[in-house]
Amino acid sequence: MPATTSGPPASGAPPQGPIGTRERITGPPRREPDWEAIEASPEFRDLVAKRRRFVLPATVGFLTWYLTFILLAGYAEGFMGESVYQGFTVGYLIALSQFFMVWGLSVAYLRYSERVLDPLRDALLAREEENLR
Amino acid sequence: MTSFLPLAADLNELALAIFGVVLAVTLGITFWASKRTSSATDFYAAGRGITGVQNGFAIAGDYMSAASFLGIAGLIYLFGFDGFLYSVGFLVAFLTVLFLLAERMRNAGKYTIADVLSFRLKEEPARVAAASGTLAVAAFYLIAQMVGAGVLIQALVGLSFSASVLITGIFMLCYVVFGGMLATTWVQIVKAVMLMGAATLLTVLVMIKIGGNPISLFNQARDASPAGDAYLSPGLFYSNPIDTVSLGLALVLGTAGLPHILMRFFTVPDAKAARSSVVWAVFLIGAFYVMTTALGFGARAFLGTGAEEAAGAGGNLAAPLLAENLGGGAGTFGGDLMLAIVAAVAFATILAVVAGLVISASGAVAHDLWSNVIRRGKDSDHEEVLVARIAAVSIGAIAIAVAIIGGEGLNISFMVGLAFAVAASANFPALLLALTWKRFNTMGAVTGVLFGIVSSVFLVIMSPKVWPGPDSEGSPIGWTLSNPGIVSIPLGFLGCYLGTVLSKERGNERTFSELNVRAETGLGAEEAAAH
Repeated sequence: MPATTSGPPASGAPPQGPIGTRERITGPPRREPDWEAIEASPEFRDLVAKRRRFVLPATVGFLTWYLTFILLAGYAEGFMGESVYQGFTVGYLIALSQFFMVWGLSVAYLRYSERVLDPLRDALLAREEENLR
Repeated sequence: MTSFLPLAADLNELALAIFGVVLAVTLGITFWASKRTSSATDFYAAGRGITGVQNGFAIAGDYMSAASFLGIAGLIYLFGFDGFLYSVGFLVAFLTVLFLLAERMRNAGKYTIADVLSFRLKEEPARVAAASGTLAVAAFYLIAQMVGAGVLIQALVGLSFSASVLITGIFMLCYVVFGGMLATTWVQIVKAVMLMGAATLLTVLVMIKIGGNPISLFNQARDASPAGDAYLSPGLFYSNPIDTVSLGLALVLGTAGLPHILMRFFTVPDAKAARSSVVWAVFLIGAFYVMTTALGFGARAFLGTGAEEAAGAGGNLAAPLLAENLGGGAGTFGGDLMLAIVAAVAFATILAVVAGLVISASGAVAHDLWSNVIRRGKDSDHEEVLVARIAAVSIGAIAIAVAIIGGEGLNISFMVGLAFAVAASANFPALLLALTWKRFNTMGAVTGVLFGIVSSVFLVIMSPKVWPGPDSEGSPIGWTLSNPGIVSIPLGFLGCYLGTVLSKERGNERTFSELNVRAETGLGAEEAAAH
């Protein structure tokens, strides 16, 4: 195997590797994708923007609610110890809400990705595959 | 800790027999996997042929350590609400992994964290920095798990501490050296199924005994606790609020820097499978943490305060004692059987976690340091796998030796805290910025990892856990926090920032555009091996 000075090495990977990997250099000649052009393309920017539209508010939201929980646990012991229903406390209610937040957000992200992001990405990949032929 | 449990004469044999079955099954898996493991992609990434569901179970198996099973149930038994804080942080952390890293890691990486870092940074310094972070986390976590294995097996089965550590270490090395990632993955899957099964069984028995109403479980646990109402509110375990916040931060960001968890994303065929595996994992892990609460409360409600001494320091034996109680009590066949089952599950749990840690550490040594820094990519695939196996044996031998020499005196929670602190402060900032910040450069990665490791190790060494004495009196610099995260995580990010803006480095080896496009789309991602 030839030496590569950067990136993942070409250690014995089969030459039928996917587009644009280092292995490509030793395999059948095929153009490297034009990364800058793809990055600047409206399709790519749309994909990134749509992913960000979900991930950014979701990340800010879950970190905020989690930090609220931790801060309340640290500084508001009395409030967290108040009984909501027959001895079930505010603390446990908020802690359980974190569990449902994790389950809800992860399923929502899965669905959003499959519905919105995957079609955009598949279209972009198909176009690149076409360009490189 | 000596054996506090009233070990019946036949118990050892029963537990050992179940241990034997677990070991036989895992060795069978290893034999099967060894015939399918030859290339580096097989060894580190199971040929990238693990499905999303399988990887979800394997992530759960890799993540839920004996500390989660016995440790958290024990903390809940002793301190009620504060024990649950760990569970919440451990689970929420997976949103960080899902939203920021899982798919990007799969798309842009090959076998290790360093692959992603060195992609557009200077190969050698970036790999050395990333490998240092990986090895630091793996070393602290591995030694903690090995010591835990020794203590638990000694208490549950009656084998000596050294023998327990040695057996755990030898089987761990068998899986990794002969079966690579394929064997490790299936050991983790089998363990996840066993652990979920045992937790479900115990939870159902607790619910039957309490009459089916979860609220009455809360009330009976509170009534049985000497702390009374305080048992269901924060403050019994953590008295310093800043420490609570610091721990919470390290938990929620540390998971996203754990090399053995991130490495799991290289074993699936594509980013879609990486994404769905996290969703499977959060349902398994979340359900498990809800059940540990039932176990901790059940132990409190049924065992009473008299059992606190028997449960040992940290309450680690609360869950096994509860199992014995639910099976019919000490000395009965049912009680002995339940105790033996829980002991075997705890053993399987430790084996799966340590195997995952060793394979990630061997990747850092063989793939990053040997293959790409020392040999500069000139080595063959065969040589890399051979070096990885030698590295695994060396790392395993060192961990066994340190665990046996350090013995039961090594503080497990201190080591685990250190692992999470380094992961959150050194690995996570560098990885996140390499993937998202265009300006980020090699100097930034090196200083960030350095700041993160040095500050977290320094602050843990200065922490009151290490220096005996009330509060901060023991610490030479008057440091009062046990958890360094609140200081060391910002320092890790600051190191990345300062290193980047203060160096004149331009024109990185490959462009951010390439990494960005690859990470977002999977264009040019490593494909599954043809098997």
